[in-house]
Amino acid sequence: MKALLNKEFKLCLHPAVFIYLALILMLLIPNYPYLVSCFFVCNAIFFCFQQARENGDAMYTAMLPVSKAQAVRARVLFVVIIQAIDLLLVAGMCAFAIVSMPEHNAGGTDHGLSLLAFALVLFAIFNLIFLPSFYKTGYKAGSAFLKSAIGVWIWLVLCEGMMIASNAVMESGADIALFRFIHENIDCMPKTADAWTAQGILFGTGILIYVVCTLLACRVSIKRYEKVSVQ
Amino acid sequence: MKILEIKDLRKAYPGFLLDDVSFDVEEGSIMGFIGRNGAGKTTTIKSVLNLVHADGGEVLFEGQDLWANETACKKRIGLVLGEFNYYKRKKLKAIAAVTKQFYEDWDEETYQALLSRFSLDPEKKISELSQGMRVKFALALALSHRAKLLILDEPTSGLDPVSRDELLDIFRDIIEDGEHSILFSTHIISDLEKCADYITYIKGGRIVVSTDADSFKDAYRLVSGETEQLGQFRPLLIGYRAHAFGFTGLMRAEDAEHAEGLKVAPADMESIMIYTEKEDGHESAAE
Repeated sequence: MKALLNKEFKLCLHPAVFIYLALILMLLIPNYPYLVSCFFVCNAIFFCFQQARENGDAMYTAMLPVSKAQAVRARVLFVVIIQAIDLLLVAGMCAFAIVSMPEHNAGGTDHGLSLLAFALVLFAIFNLIFLPSFYKTGYKAGSAFLKSAIGVWIWLVLCEGMMIASNAVMESGADIALFRFIHENIDCMPKTADAWTAQGILFGTGILIYVVCTLLACRVSIKRYEKVSVQ
Repeated sequence: MKILEIKDLRKAYPGFLLDDVSFDVEEGSIMGFIGRNGAGKTTTIKSVLNLVHADGGEVLFEGQDLWANETACKKRIGLVLGEFNYYKRKKLKAIAAVTKQFYEDWDEETYQALLSRFSLDPEKKISELSQGMRVKFALALALSHRAKLLILDEPTSGLDPVSRDELLDIFRDIIEDGEHSILFSTHIISDLEKCADYITYIKGGRIVVSTDADSFKDAYRLVSGETEQLGQFRPLLIGYRAHAFGFTGLMRAEDAEHAEGLKVAPADMESIMIYTEKEDGHESAAE
């Protein structure tokens, strides 16, 4: 696995990964839907798959002393590492923003554990759709990305839309319990015990969803790729 | 001892069937795998190595199930599927650095010696190599991890005659110790005349014959005769070519013994393959 992972980073890593990871700086833009920055990372992962395909990686890997299942597992781990780096950067930026940007984010989810939880689910949706869809053929990265992007954007619009809506409702003076809860505990920097608890539960659920979806994606991808003829 | 046993290998594609392919590769030998384009050579090799998921059959490497022990078996197999056409923008040294990590038995000294023998510059990119040089690079990688079996699909295509001859010498050196073997698919039959100990001939997805090279050639005779004799001997001819002065064709050795009045000569591998492929249509146009 170490050798395969080394191959992924030395040969398959697209330079766009670094550029899109740097877009984490978008988290410093006031009043912005920060979850969008995670979509760019999905885009970078798609570029890696595309680059590998164009370079005949499937055949090169198949000639190495590894099974198809090991090749898929290594690629999934490669994706997980890139997403984990992005999540760590998001966490770092949130910590920085809590200290230096005290204003509430009116453009979407505020800096906090909620943002990380939503990002985890976003990556889970991407992995669950993109990976099995790609490994059905081993080369159709474009259509796999298109399908996953639809899923990711539905989630993104849902999350950020909900936060924007709660903000608007609270500012209008209406007192709706759900939106008040979101505004006070989810869409905010976690400074109260209630907010920490709510966002902590959300974050834990996010991790669970990410792990389950990624493992499932890996399993289905292996099963599908076993049937693919490497040409 | 058999190093590779292929039993009843089966793979169906729309319009093509690899039909119960069975043959063995003996330890310390070179097996030539011949057949025309589209006969099923590459599909057989890819199915053996699980690159293509076979519909049925069994492959044993050193007595163990290759598909069930894929990783361990592939470490002891050197594979060349034509020229090295992967990661063309990367330098040779970068590809080698990644590849060698997969083999505990990587022999850096052998690799460096092969680079020098093939005049390959590790600082060059794959895209800067000619077709022949890419084949040589693929061979250098396959020959540098002390593989017991080399599986080579069209390794000499694209090489100049001097390089091809040099490569055949390397093949002979490899099997000299009696412990290494080579399965070598090609349509350049003259290469096999020089080095193959055994021949497996595949046609339309089915094995026609798998035997030692001498028996393969001894089983056939090249015959030639007058145009008037063609009608008499046509049923015995496997394939023939008619021309202005008569005909030339291929017969089984036992039939040729009774072919009185015809000129009989030993058959070479290329003629056997050409005339056997004419079997269905028999005649080619008179020239």
